[in-house]
Amino acid sequence: MALHDSAIVAFAETKIVEKSDRDVWELGAEVLESLLAKTGIAKAEIDGLVMSSSMTGASNPFWSQSTADQLALELDFCQIVDLGGCSATAALARACMAIETGCANIVLCLYADCQSSDNNRRERGGQDWTGLVGYLGPPAAFGLLSKRYEHQFGLDYAMLGKLAVAQRGHAVLNDNACEKLRKPITVEDYLSSRMVADPIRLLDCVMVCDGATGLLVMSKREAEKRGFTKCVVPIGYGERTNYRAGETIVDITETGHLPAGKRAFAQAGLAPRDIASFHPYDDFIIAIMLQLEMLGFCKQGEGCAFIKAHDFTHTGDLPLNTGGGQISAGQAGLAGGSYNLVEAVRQLFGEGGKRQVKNTKNALVTGIGGIPYGRNWTSSVVMILTPNG
Amino acid sequence: MTELNDTLRVPREPPKVRNFVKPFWDATRAGKLMLQYDRKAARYQFYPRVAGIGSGSRDLEWREASGKGQIFTYTVARRAREPFRGHEPFLIAMVTLDEGVNIMANIVNCPLEAMKIGMRVKLTWAPMSDGSRLFMFEPER
Repeated sequence: MALHDSAIVAFAETKIVEKSDRDVWELGAEVLESLLAKTGIAKAEIDGLVMSSSMTGASNPFWSQSTADQLALELDFCQIVDLGGCSATAALARACMAIETGCANIVLCLYADCQSSDNNRRERGGQDWTGLVGYLGPPAAFGLLSKRYEHQFGLDYAMLGKLAVAQRGHAVLNDNACEKLRKPITVEDYLSSRMVADPIRLLDCVMVCDGATGLLVMSKREAEKRGFTKCVVPIGYGERTNYRAGETIVDITETGHLPAGKRAFAQAGLAPRDIASFHPYDDFIIAIMLQLEMLGFCKQGEGCAFIKAHDFTHTGDLPLNTGGGQISAGQAGLAGGSYNLVEAVRQLFGEGGKRQVKNTKNALVTGIGGIPYGRNWTSSVVMILTPNG
Repeated sequence: MTELNDTLRVPREPPKVRNFVKPFWDATRAGKLMLQYDRKAARYQFYPRVAGIGSGSRDLEWREASGKGQIFTYTVARRAREPFRGHEPFLIAMVTLDEGVNIMANIVNCPLEAMKIGMRVKLTWAPMSDGSRLFMFEPER
């Protein structure tokens, strides 16, 4: 039994819309219907549901059950994963665990959030200490992080702009990206966009939207039995919640992707130079660079030089978030990270259309979840996927 | 020089005080910045927790901090939510106190050009409506 004994046989996604007038369950139903149509699987055959948490569902402590009820799913395994932006990939990992341990045979991973139109978030945590100073949440956190990075290593903002431009180019090619964002930008546009929390600019940030995606997962053996010739298999996974939690002052430019990445690469038997396309969680542009460093694509502090030396477009040597990423396609709340994941799966299925990458040997996906007091982020996940069959 | 808002006119609501942080907020009324000291790990910690972050021990005691430290990192808030909206731009920093903890606070009496990582700062206070006070920092000079 291992992670790579499970297979994704289908993916689905809705268009990302800012302030849609659709109910979060309608989006979920659209995803489910699409998965059933693609695979010919009957709804009654689905016996597992693993969801990401959702800002829309945040006031409902029975969220996965309520959703299962709404979709009339009869389940032997049902749970929600509440690791913020890590939830989507972590949910897929848990779906594989449920299959591998015999708890379920066919698992629906469902990621749906209408944060921009129906946000029910209420929180108990570190903001007891941040609300008093006028902290705007993530932009302020990444402002603090960026200033510290610049102090330690220097920071060429034009290189961050290069990443923003590459992702925007991909959103232009993605019909499911939020329409408002599907206009090309230049490095100059990035640099001159207004400051939100120095040195975080408007074009560093995500726009919160509504959207949903989903995956159908089963054992590889089951997939073969059912004649699914195309599927995608996770071959390496690492997860870390809290990094150096017991220390009082830490280097905030170092993140949980360091241990999570080591574990994922070791399981996959691959090294960063082997990665064919890169789909990192992108809540802020600098997070992409920090992940390049922590995952070992380059050394800590050398992210800008690495960016300068590589081409991140879908035809380049390291295609980056080929659906546009959350920054250029829109962030569907806590389902946002699932768009990075589903794009990687789509590429490995060879269904990237106008933005299809050439090298589909594998893809690397990450998650970033939660903003703790005075650090970088709470949870980090890394998954490496490969096509099979 | 770019003058920044000192946020003293922001009508902040006093924080919701959980029982285990009550000694912290009570001490601010007397102008004292208190830190938890984890006796088992022999070190300070901030923000206040229910147990030592190094040791897991609940043997914590409150000790008064010197109120001196240096800027670890900072940002300029150009956009803010209520009640800070309209008071931008203002400074938010992480300050490394001499006791070895990082604490987030507004920095006041400091034009943007003077702000830099490593700058020495000292404690100052903003009054709140319930008589407790909010810790802030300003250049040591």
